[in-house]
Amino acid sequence: MTLKTLLTATAVSALVAGAAQADVKFGALFPFSGGLALLGEESFRGVELAVEEINAAGGIQGEQIDLVRGDAVDNNQAIGEARRLISREGVKAILGTYSSSRSIAASQVAELSGIPYFELGAVADEVTGRDLQYLFRTNPTAETMGIMTIDMILDEIAPGLGVEATDLVIGVIHEDSAYGTSVAGHQEEYGAEKGLNIVTVQGYPSSTVDMSSLVLDLKDRGVNIVLQTSYQNDSVLFLNQSAEAGFEPDAIIGGGGGYSLTATAEAVGDLMEGVLDVDFTQYAVNTEFTPGLEDFLVAYQNKYGEDPRSGHSLNNYVGAMAVLEGIGAGEGFEPDQIVAAVQAIDIPAGETAAGYGVHFGDHNQNDRAMMMGMQWQGGKLVTVYPRDAAVAEFQIGD
Amino acid sequence: MDTFLQIVANGLMLGGLFAIVAVGLTLIFGIVKVINFAHGEFLMVGMYLTFLLSTGMDVHPYLTAAAVAPALFVLGALTQRLLIQPLMSARDEHVQIFATVGLSTALMNLALLVFGADIANTPAHGVRSQVMLGEVRILTGQLWVFGAAILLVIGLQLFMKKTRTGRAIRATAQNRAAARLMGINDKFIYVLTFGMGAACVGLGSSLIAPLYPTSPTIGTYFVLIAFVCVVLGGLGSIPGAFFGALVIGLVDALSGFYIGSDLREAVVFTIFLLILILKPSGLFGTRMNLSHVSP
Repeated sequence: MTLKTLLTATAVSALVAGAAQADVKFGALFPFSGGLALLGEESFRGVELAVEEINAAGGIQGEQIDLVRGDAVDNNQAIGEARRLISREGVKAILGTYSSSRSIAASQVAELSGIPYFELGAVADEVTGRDLQYLFRTNPTAETMGIMTIDMILDEIAPGLGVEATDLVIGVIHEDSAYGTSVAGHQEEYGAEKGLNIVTVQGYPSSTVDMSSLVLDLKDRGVNIVLQTSYQNDSVLFLNQSAEAGFEPDAIIGGGGGYSLTATAEAVGDLMEGVLDVDFTQYAVNTEFTPGLEDFLVAYQNKYGEDPRSGHSLNNYVGAMAVLEGIGAGEGFEPDQIVAAVQAIDIPAGETAAGYGVHFGDHNQNDRAMMMGMQWQGGKLVTVYPRDAAVAEFQIGD
Repeated sequence: MDTFLQIVANGLMLGGLFAIVAVGLTLIFGIVKVINFAHGEFLMVGMYLTFLLSTGMDVHPYLTAAAVAPALFVLGALTQRLLIQPLMSARDEHVQIFATVGLSTALMNLALLVFGADIANTPAHGVRSQVMLGEVRILTGQLWVFGAAILLVIGLQLFMKKTRTGRAIRATAQNRAAARLMGINDKFIYVLTFGMGAACVGLGSSLIAPLYPTSPTIGTYFVLIAFVCVVLGGLGSIPGAFFGALVIGLVDALSGFYIGSDLREAVVFTIFLLILILKPSGLFGTRMNLSHVSP
């Protein structure tokens, strides 16, 4: 009943919208308010810049793109806004979403309506793991992140400290939403596969105001490598409370979110020095590996009057450019025409501003997506891993 | 053993933190009988004010309390006068609760609009430095919060027991209709109490701001825990909220270590449910007089 009503409503409003508008509408669904607004907005800026660049160059298939914003402040509203974008605004596809849980909720609605949904930033496995027909993801995933963290321990940290990787005592902590849980799950699984000694895996709510017990627990277990997948508040809390408890692991590897933000580094001061971070491509990277990055930065600064606050805008820009240009190279904006167009995308590694290529493989996941390993050195987040993208030496040990 | 003592110390300090938030909440509930869901956002507003004043004028964040607490008093008083009071005659009392939920969301999103979602860091001015009590490390700022919470509880108790206004407040809480017959202006008492409750959290926010990064959503976690403290101590009881907060702080810290950080909230809220089932009046509470419902 609901589905039927929805589909009818979709069809009717799509017809109405199609007749009234000359431009082609795409939805941009991000958390613009609420706790995730900062990086939601940052992600959206990437999409906005991509659309402006494409429109300035004549649009796609001769039509200008009209980007309609939807605010995914929580999961319920993500669903509501997806419905609104599809049935009232008549968008041809939705781009989003930064947050995995919002993406999972909203893409379900798009799938039922047969509207393509392009995920450019959410990392949780379930986003593509559900084998939806109309969902495509351009960005690297929780699995990429988990594996990259472990590889960094094996390739750089253990040799740098002059010990066997299997002698390291590793503690995994993570915020307990879908994002942190899935990254931690892959770290645990892949770490065990490589014979690493992971002594504890613990979740906590990202809004927590106290992590002292967790810090004491890690200290008590003799942990010397900490992997934390977190947002901003909990990154600050962990670093501060570790220092206050006299807990000094040999390496801290942050996963995305909070660890990539300058504001986090400012909040904890010197404690950030030497901290490692696996995340989407950021800006201090070897630009031979990321053509177009400098132009993106100029466009960003011109439009927003500041430097990007994180790499989210860049990765959303790259994803949006790839998808929209792919659609532009196709024929028509009907769902199946869009799907056929994006399935033909074939961009090799080293040819986008984020370094990774774009090609949709199993489960409609971009099988060329990758992350980068970074380190805070002298107050700046610089790429140190892998070596062909690095701009600075990996610093570990004394 | 050292670790155990450290956890207990952490728990007590955390309890002090919860207490300074919970006191204002229980005051408003006990007198005005409104559950103020915007209490966490009052804390957030206070923390931003502290941040702005202490960075703008380069003064110690504690000094800003002299301005922040009165500002929060005004915010609380206005909330009662403009939002709650018009709803007091509404047929369904729950409308007031929804109004505070609305206010909470509005304030949070206003902060997002004004400050963005990025965290704001109030300079620590030395309150993040450590003192060693034997083998136990404690931040000086945590000790200040703890001390302030005790003084606030004692101060409020004295005010309620010894002053004419305090007695009028208690009289209104006990029986609004009778208080009115005695010539007490109950509407003024409610505005005053709401203001005081907000001023308490204003004082707390100036003490908390240098310890925690401020963000628009900082209040949500605090207020949930503060509710548990208030229920544990007995709704409306000021010393109850303090001791409830200490218990919850300890439970939080100990379960975080011995049971696991993923389960600490589960433990805290299990206790919350058990109190509601086994002793709904809490440790210090008495039966609520809801005389204002049918004056």
